[in-house]
Amino acid sequence: MTVGFGTVLVANRGEIAIRVMRTCREMGIRTVAVHSTADRDSSHVRDADAAVQIGPGPPRKSYLSAPAVIEAALRTGADAVHPGYGFLSEDPDFAEICAENGLTFIGPRPEVLARLGDKAVARALMTDAGLPVLPGSPGTVDSAAEAADLASRIGYPLIIKAAAGGGGRGMTVVRHSTDLLPAYRQTRATAQAVFGDNRVYMERYCDSARHIEVQVLADGHGSVLHLGERDCSVQRRHQKLIEESPGPGLHPQLRSAMARAAVRGARAIGYTGAGTFEFLVHDEGFSFMEMNCRIQVEHPVTEAVYGVDLVREQIRVAAGESLRMSQEDLVPRGVAVECRVNAEDPERDFAPAPGTLEEFVPPGGPFVRVDTHGRAGWKVPPQYDSLLAKVICWAPERDEALDRMDRALREFRISGPGVHTTVPLLRDILADPVFREGRHITSFLDNR
Amino acid sequence: MQARNGHGNGRYYGEKLMNELTQESPRAQTDDALAELDYDNSALALTDICRSIAEVMRVGPSRPRRVRIALGAASVEVEWDGQDTPGSTAPAGQYLHGAGAAEGAEAEAVVEGHRECAPLVGTFYTAPAPGAPPFVQPGDRVEAGQQLGIIEAMKLMNPLEATRAGQVVEVLVGDGEPVEYGEPLVLIDPDTTGADDADGGA
Repeated sequence: MTVGFGTVLVANRGEIAIRVMRTCREMGIRTVAVHSTADRDSSHVRDADAAVQIGPGPPRKSYLSAPAVIEAALRTGADAVHPGYGFLSEDPDFAEICAENGLTFIGPRPEVLARLGDKAVARALMTDAGLPVLPGSPGTVDSAAEAADLASRIGYPLIIKAAAGGGGRGMTVVRHSTDLLPAYRQTRATAQAVFGDNRVYMERYCDSARHIEVQVLADGHGSVLHLGERDCSVQRRHQKLIEESPGPGLHPQLRSAMARAAVRGARAIGYTGAGTFEFLVHDEGFSFMEMNCRIQVEHPVTEAVYGVDLVREQIRVAAGESLRMSQEDLVPRGVAVECRVNAEDPERDFAPAPGTLEEFVPPGGPFVRVDTHGRAGWKVPPQYDSLLAKVICWAPERDEALDRMDRALREFRISGPGVHTTVPLLRDILADPVFREGRHITSFLDNR
Repeated sequence: MQARNGHGNGRYYGEKLMNELTQESPRAQTDDALAELDYDNSALALTDICRSIAEVMRVGPSRPRRVRIALGAASVEVEWDGQDTPGSTAPAGQYLHGAGAAEGAEAEAVVEGHRECAPLVGTFYTAPAPGAPPFVQPGDRVEAGQQLGIIEAMKLMNPLEATRAGQVVEVLVGDGEPVEYGEPLVLIDPDTTGADDADGGA
């Protein structure tokens, strides 16, 4: 006997809105899209059973406007709101307003969001739960004197991060003590401007590290499971470009230690839904960095190796149901890789290169999945994220998966006046011996 | 294109006419919502407009009832008969795909006017209280700043005010109906004096 939602409003745009609506449709749930005036003609609006225009182009007045989203949900008879990633997905106030209006927020409880959204608090909570963290400040660093004092104990290089930050924004690496105070002041100013909160914290920085994250799923009935790890070390300026599961060449003991740590952390804070523990792997060890309380961009690689629809589990858990599987049921198979095709020009320092997509033919063939909102004739609006498509390839072995990815990217036809994408760069990386051998670390791309 | 604004203000032909006009003359400039035509040569402009209207009449489903052209602020009004438009009262803000403007707006009257649009998502009320007389009715004269309706959002009553003085042509959305951002709510025939800028459509 399944008690689910009749209607789900998807408070997002682009590929993730379409991806969430696909699962809703498979579950027999009616979908409502919201959109700005700039997205009137976007694919997620076309795909939904109903759509509401909630505001003008700037996200602050549309996709980030909690009242507009709530009104749209109430007017269309939605039972629940799926926030996707970004925008309102980790906003505890929004989650609370949903509850006050009788809407189920598909994500963790507001108080959990509030605690983990403060990265300094999250770090302290996970330290208490027994997770390893890098040497750093016990809480936020609120004065220049405190910063200088802590820095001398932490050592260089170190990283200053916004407590309200995340997603690779609002952080500065400091390599010399002379740069500390300017960097401290600048990061606080950036944090204030971007997140409306100038508090920062500090941590030791690892140059030679891999970004490995663990996917967890938890229900409201005490079950907390992990779905292995993803390696997201191919980054440019802290923005992920290629992700894969499992992490290549990870020692089995390290792998299971990280998975256990993630489950312990999720249990300690009473987490529910899908979440991700981000770790840095360095010198044989690993350290907790932050937790993402939402579905991740790169979730399809986990879906591919575990055969689990993560969005479906999110929805089921939010509806109060129990997870249907046990840890023993979750056995990974093969290797999955994801490449992010962004409308950016790698030749021009990754400047966004939006334009009208005159030609847009995604790849296909065996074990290739493409999540995209692009289509021929559509004009990419300039005010949003440059992610245009995610290509995910699966194969029994990593080499095969990478060859398949190169084949798929070769097939992908995207062109139009002014349109540039990361496809040539991605294919370049796929051919790089360092990446092929799985020896790449987070600085790999920036130093290439 | 979505078709949720299918409450019969004839966007279809309005846009078509504007497209015709801009294609015919490179000097015509279109704004995002309603085009503001800025000709320096009136005679040439008039020729262009007439040619475009002839084209619109040719492709239209029936002959217009009335055509009015004003060259000062370059306004064009084309009206078709409304009797053969059963879809003209297609519910506004029903948010459903398929309840399309296409069928509803086919042979709609095109009225060049000023549309007061919803500044937020919510519920539109035409009167201050249930059973009370509406704020405005067709034919009423309104001043800029005068209240035209209420939009309830998050339990807050937000007044909708006229941004232009003029005569109310039509209240486009029924009392108590849901509206989305930018949805035209009240059509006003603005006073010509000082009516210099295009309206702030969606």
